[in-house]
Amino acid sequence: MFRLPIAEREHWQTRAKEFGFEFHTMYGEKYWDESAYYQFSLQQIEQDIEAPTEEIHQMCLAVVEKVLADDELMRRFCLPEEQWDFIRQSWQNGDPSLYSRLDFAYSGKGHAKLYENNADTPTSIYETGFWQWLWLQDNVDSRVLSLRSDQFNSLQEKLVNRFIEIGHLTPDRVLHFACCKDTPEDRGTVQYLEDCAIEAGLTTEFVYVEDIGRDTEGNFTDTKDQIIRFMFKLYPWEFMFQEAFSANLGHNNIRWLEPPWKSVLSNKALLPMLWKMFPDHPNLLPAFFEDELHLAGELTSLVKKPIFSREGANISFTGSKSVIASDGPYGEEGYIYQATHMLPKFGENYTLIGSWLIDNQAAGISIREDINPITQDMSRYLPHIIL
Amino acid sequence: MKRSRVINLDRMRKNPLEKPLLRPLTLAIASITLAACSQPEQDVQIVNSVEDCVDNTTLTADQCQAAYEKALTEAHRTAPRYQSQSHCESEFGYNQCYQTGNNFFVPFMAGWMVSSLLNNASNTYNPVYHYRNSSSSYRDRLMTADGSVIGRAGQKSYKVPSTNLKPKPTVTRTVSRGGFGAVASAKSNWGGGKKSSWGG
Repeated sequence: MFRLPIAEREHWQTRAKEFGFEFHTMYGEKYWDESAYYQFSLQQIEQDIEAPTEEIHQMCLAVVEKVLADDELMRRFCLPEEQWDFIRQSWQNGDPSLYSRLDFAYSGKGHAKLYENNADTPTSIYETGFWQWLWLQDNVDSRVLSLRSDQFNSLQEKLVNRFIEIGHLTPDRVLHFACCKDTPEDRGTVQYLEDCAIEAGLTTEFVYVEDIGRDTEGNFTDTKDQIIRFMFKLYPWEFMFQEAFSANLGHNNIRWLEPPWKSVLSNKALLPMLWKMFPDHPNLLPAFFEDELHLAGELTSLVKKPIFSREGANISFTGSKSVIASDGPYGEEGYIYQATHMLPKFGENYTLIGSWLIDNQAAGISIREDINPITQDMSRYLPHIIL
Repeated sequence: MKRSRVINLDRMRKNPLEKPLLRPLTLAIASITLAACSQPEQDVQIVNSVEDCVDNTTLTADQCQAAYEKALTEAHRTAPRYQSQSHCESEFGYNQCYQTGNNFFVPFMAGWMVSSLLNNASNTYNPVYHYRNSSSSYRDRLMTADGSVIGRAGQKSYKVPSTNLKPKPTVTRTVSRGGFGAVASAKSNWGGGKKSSWGG
């Protein structure tokens, strides 16, 4: 695994405009960064990332099974009791999942270590599935990169195929896509997923989360008063569970993407639970619930993460002399602790690998870089190749 | 190969192929010829009665009767709805609307679509409506419940994107909005509103 400099494609901004990639620069800062790329060997990809990704996903499903069967654990995961039936029902029905992203610390040597599972609302899928694919294609076409260059990225192909499968399981329903207003990044992500669904032959609509309505029978509606029966939402379940329309969840016959059972996995309580069920697994970091910190034994340096949080917010290191912490609006539901394992550094940059799953198949990686050891939503995105 | 073999770049290209969408009224009219450049098309016939269906399609009399009943059911479920009779009539013409059980006004079904590929009992026969607003360029066009234009009324057959043959969503009366999004709104006050994503 190397970090290599490369010339930016001439006029790549025009190319971005052509393909509607609107958020490559945000708040005046570079988000998409093609001044360098990462190079992996096929063995690093297949052995160290692809295989563990699929294995950990199966371990996560075992956690879901266990948590849903145990009221005490449901409380530990801060899942509201009013929604237990809704969550459990979706698991018992076998409601299909579209995608997830596992975040790993990996340096090219040794075992990739799981940081967390973005199982409910993973983002950066457009940059990964399409934009970095196009970057490789362009650089191979112009012979800047070797013709033998490949990429671990079958994301778009698998996404379209998965939409075809889920479409067969959900016949004759229009798929509504939703995200919040005023987030160009989320709007772009949802547009991409909608494009993939259309490619798969599904009929789609779009509605902003804030504009979702309700009729007298408790059905959810779009702005054209059409009843929603099939919905992809880029909006966390733990938010929806607290909101005014939550009382209707589970009573209005909707196929949800991601399914409600994913709320168990997008939850940081997953990390201590995995460690309990699969202790000393080489891809896991020791992790503990707040009231079981005595189990941490000799571990002195721990990372404190809120049960619910997004994009690296509200994370802090404990036990080190200088406290490194990130700000944010999360943490009211409590925290978990994970053994400190710093991100590898390439030059001045800390590097995080996101490993994507479509359903239960590993489908590619995304790379985020930051000058801080906690990557956040403004961390830069860099492409990669396999050679 | 560890990457996607082929990506349909035409589908991914957003500019200058932005889809034009006209939304003059409650009924969103979408011009099929512009919006459907990359969708597979199918030939359909529009029939306006069981007799018309028997005479002009490959369906049998029993199939036509079943198709008619399915189309009527679909029309009850999905027809464009208006709060007032005058509003509905301004779009579909004088005496072309009726009041439903829950106090909406909807246009009469002008006919339904029969595709040569759709001839078994499980298929949907989407109803069509005859748009008659004299001040609109879509005057005298047939369209589906979601405003997709099929073509000028009176043709023997029409070419439509295959999505028009799929069932339309049920239309209802929304009594409240804004029941989702409050948590994001509260959290976005943190950080001076600089929030780009609710994903992770």
